[in-house]
Amino acid sequence: MKRWECQQCGFVYDEAEGWEEENIPPGTKWEDIPDDWTCPDCGAAKADFVMVEL
Amino acid sequence: MTHRTVIVGAGIAGVSAAAALRSAGYDGTIDLIGQEPELPYRRPPVSKEIVRGDKSADEIRIKKAEWYEQQGIGLRLGASVVGLDVDARAVRLSEGDPLLYDHLLLATGGRARSPWQAAGVRTLRGLADVPRLKDELAAKKAVVIVGAGLIGSEIAASARGLGCDVTLLETASLPLPRLLPPELGQMYVDLHRAEGTDLHTGVMVSSIEDHDGQTDVRAVDGRTWTAPVVVVAVGMDPHVELAEVAGIVIASPADGGGIVVDDRGRTSAPGVFAAGDVANQPNGVLGGRHRVEHWQGAQNHGTAVGKVMAGGDDAFVEVPWCWSDQYGANLQVAGWPEGSHDMVVHGSIADRDFIAYLLDDGVVRGAVSIGRPRDVRSARAWIGDHARLDEVLEPSA
Repeated sequence: MKRWECQQCGFVYDEAEGWEEENIPPGTKWEDIPDDWTCPDCGAAKADFVMVEL
Repeated sequence: MTHRTVIVGAGIAGVSAAAALRSAGYDGTIDLIGQEPELPYRRPPVSKEIVRGDKSADEIRIKKAEWYEQQGIGLRLGASVVGLDVDARAVRLSEGDPLLYDHLLLATGGRARSPWQAAGVRTLRGLADVPRLKDELAAKKAVVIVGAGLIGSEIAASARGLGCDVTLLETASLPLPRLLPPELGQMYVDLHRAEGTDLHTGVMVSSIEDHDGQTDVRAVDGRTWTAPVVVVAVGMDPHVELAEVAGIVIASPADGGGIVVDDRGRTSAPGVFAAGDVANQPNGVLGGRHRVEHWQGAQNHGTAVGKVMAGGDDAFVEVPWCWSDQYGANLQVAGWPEGSHDMVVHGSIADRDFIAYLLDDGVVRGAVSIGRPRDVRSARAWIGDHARLDEVLEPSA
């Protein structure tokens, strides 16, 4: 399970937790999230996220 | 007859409104007019990745050029609006025929305030301001920055990261005075100093003048700092002139300035709306009115007003939220933490891993965090709900 951070605002997508608000279930891998998904906080593109070690 | 919408301002508020109109099924015309010659771009990275040279302009576009075509949005870039006739419902451009509208959105943003005109003075608002300053920072020139608000602080961090000698001057007693309570302002004093930025607070600048190829920044108490480059970052003035000349109600500077709108983004003129940094809007959480100068506020306000223009009727209520990156630390601020409140801190401010809740009589009014974006997200909802911290916090937190 990996975590991905929005380089614009700092929002973190955690694969283990998913993102319930948009019906992305826990365990959803980053590559399985649609390419047109945007940061729930600031609207930045999926491409603006980088993998982070936390 | 085809419905005509004209949007003046192609920043995030204007683009978001155009997108919201189309998402809501609006099928009339949309003309989106941008003063800058640039394909619309995200402004937050300008004082960070862009001025540091870590990203190119094409990496921060809001949408690709094709998107505007696909959405049937007529993008007019590098165009100046020179007149507005609210009776004839016409917008006059510097060139070509007037654009007639049924709905007009003023999303004109603002300009960097610049009380000083010396040759060494730079301001930073848009991409056009970048090339010269970026080259100067890349050449490791010494720089004096006037104003330790968000933009000044971020430029200081960017310039230090490039190896410049940086002096940062602030009128208030602490940096980020409009954003942070004193305890947390002090954290930024420590951070700037630890990173080698020469921060001076309580400095009231009286003049900035060129002097033998350098520029002198003089304070009222006689202290003077000299550098080849001086960045003035003392806030922005909203672009209200077009509305003002057209007779639309404008807020006084004491009330925050800007174009007065209601909770649906409507101005005093029929069919004319305003959104984003330029809009003086009702504060749907605390009451009163305010003008919000943050990315997310402009984006969501543009979206909300776009929906109203498409026939919706939802009021816009939002808790302000912003972030800042300085020296690699991601700061997030929600609500209204800057006043004098009680503060409850979870985590460690010294380690820059914390969230601080700012309370009025136990009710969450603001939150400030480094490194805990999810907690800030919860806090935003609590602030909007007037929640009491002791009732919403999990006991284990």
